[in-house]
Amino acid sequence: MEFINEIKRDVLSSVLKTGRRADNRGRYDYRKIVIQPEILQNAEGSALAAIGKSQVMAGVKFDVAAPFPDRPTEGVLSTSADLLPLASDLFEAGPPGDDAIELARVVDRGIRSSGTIDLNSFYLEEGKVLALYLDIYVLDHDGNLIDASALAAMSALLSTRMPKVEDGKIIRGEYAGKLQLKEKVVSCTFGKIGEQTFLDPSLDEEKGMDCRLTLSTTSTHLCAAQKGGWGSFSERDIMELLDISFEKGKELRAMLK
Amino acid sequence: MNGEVAKAPELYKDGRRLDGRALDELRPIKIEARVLNDADGSAYIEWGKNKILAGVYGPSECIPRHDQSLYRSVIRCRYNMAPFSGLEEHGKGGPSRRSKELSKVIKEAFENVIISENFPKTQIEIFVEVLQSDGGTRCAALTAAAVALADAGIPMKDLICAVAVGKIAGHMAVDPSKEEDNFGESDMPIAFSLRTGEILLFQMDGLLTKEELAKGFSLARAAAEKIHKIQVDAIKKVYTEPKEERLLLIK
Amino acid sequence: MTHSRIVIPGELLSDRAEQIPYAFVEKGKTYSTVVGLFSEGKLVPLEGPYEPLEGDIVVGVISEVKFSGYSVEINSPYIAFLSSREIRERYSMGDAILARISMVDEVKNIELSDAKKLPQGRLVKSSSVKIPRIIGKKNSMISLLQSATGCEIYAGRNGYIWISGKGDQSLAERAIRIIEVQAHTQGLTDRIAAFLKSHSKG
Repeated sequence: MEFINEIKRDVLSSVLKTGRRADNRGRYDYRKIVIQPEILQNAEGSALAAIGKSQVMAGVKFDVAAPFPDRPTEGVLSTSADLLPLASDLFEAGPPGDDAIELARVVDRGIRSSGTIDLNSFYLEEGKVLALYLDIYVLDHDGNLIDASALAAMSALLSTRMPKVEDGKIIRGEYAGKLQLKEKVVSCTFGKIGEQTFLDPSLDEEKGMDCRLTLSTTSTHLCAAQKGGWGSFSERDIMELLDISFEKGKELRAMLK
Repeated sequence: MNGEVAKAPELYKDGRRLDGRALDELRPIKIEARVLNDADGSAYIEWGKNKILAGVYGPSECIPRHDQSLYRSVIRCRYNMAPFSGLEEHGKGGPSRRSKELSKVIKEAFENVIISENFPKTQIEIFVEVLQSDGGTRCAALTAAAVALADAGIPMKDLICAVAVGKIAGHMAVDPSKEEDNFGESDMPIAFSLRTGEILLFQMDGLLTKEELAKGFSLARAAAEKIHKIQVDAIKKVYTEPKEERLLLIK
Repeated sequence: MTHSRIVIPGELLSDRAEQIPYAFVEKGKTYSTVVGLFSEGKLVPLEGPYEPLEGDIVVGVISEVKFSGYSVEINSPYIAFLSSREIRERYSMGDAILARISMVDEVKNIELSDAKKLPQGRLVKSSSVKIPRIIGKKNSMISLLQSATGCEIYAGRNGYIWISGKGDQSLAERAIRIIEVQAHTQGLTDRIAAFLKSHSKG
């Protein structure tokens, strides 16, 4: 509904100029965040993260797989996302569309390039490695699914138990300690309308905004980024938002146990 | 099971089942209504180790239009299993033949009770997501979906519920667990409208005598009474203990 | 609200056949079709879609400009139609209007009349079953909301609420959300008054 978005843009822009947002938040405030780790027993790792009214679950499963030919000693990390039809009337049942694929890839990049998972530790024997399947399951959509998904994914990984492996097979229901992680990766997503930027866009804000910027960080480095939407950011915008991301990242990391 | 035949455990011994239950005993059931924000109605059920989420949308404009009826709302249902829901390997994407069949029989059960004539040209969509499976997911899914439909304010002639009965080690037993289903001799999911006594979903596999079938019905009906009470309590709790925010709390 | 009880779909309301809205009769007995409050032979649904009725005053949003009039979204699966002959003003897509439902036919074609464009503001999507409580007895709740927030508030029978004016629109919206959740409880007007007082600026 193109026209509604145009109207939303005008309203949002005038509201932002007051320094307060429609839900009374400050420009760089998150909505209330609730993280529940270890909620499932069949999955090796799981978590549910809510940012405001957005709720995202992440599940981790392990299988034995063949390594990629060019990386014979490395395990496999495979991330996918489902925008479930029960989460929003904007989502339809069926194979993942562009938005779901982008969501999964942005979360995957943060985790992968941070090196938080040592994929070499997934090596079993010649031609056999462990594959970690990270599934992002969007249950309720009120905007900023990327940050909610990143939190759910990181929390699920932090709770992940390594499967017990014997003779190249996984013994289901038995475990061999926790998955070792080097970093807690978090992402901060900003919206932009006109010249104004703001953190953690709600669905209403997403409908009216020009573009978004996601910055995934470790405690020391930027490890993934994604710009979305038709609008643009300046170099200065990005530098400033990175500072905010590091600052907010501390708060987010403190919520991940 | 990697091709090996798993050894059947002793399913019934000294009047107790594997998990310590009696033959007429349900696993623990908990239902929470209204856990999602965007869906018009929602419910979360924990039934044994099953964890299932149901969401309902509608009545809304029926799309595509050629599916529309001038006389009633079109009811749709999608039963789906999360790829991480099982203890075994990672699930493959896309609907399986099994999930398509279950979607169909659940939908048909609700077509009996939803007063769809009130909303011509529309659709009512029921989505159930199995987040963790432990045997008996279709019954738990239907039971949760009924609560989600009531939560959405969809007019219905009854709040329906479902439960399975199985035959384990020669005995009829209510609500088989995953292990009892795997190693038992028969499985029979049933959905009831308790108000009328009618059976709205009925499936069965295995071998049963006529006497065993009758015993199964009476076990299922007694269990359904208990399940229905849990559904009603979940719906009333939305109003007796109202919450400012909707959040799915799992544990 | 005395002696009212929460009923659920399929629950027995009466051993006799009675004509009660949102109930149905089977074999001489009357049952509820919805989750609702039942008292003294009256059933008030607690949730549910908006069912358009002739005479309802609704808040709608222009969703399409046509040659002969406008398509109007009214919080219903059915799009309403407002004929150009019914109005003097002209509307653009996205404009919010207040209008009266003049006709509903068997297949839910809906026509509007007596339309008026609403001033700039924000739309709060509530539910038609909550509107009586948001308006309150003799307009008590909506008057309270308007005076405490300084906004103009239009509550359509269809569940759409339009908030406009220079007042604190955000506060008005938050108060409406509280009313929605607690709509069936007693002493609500006092609680809302206290909320508005403690959150008002200055």
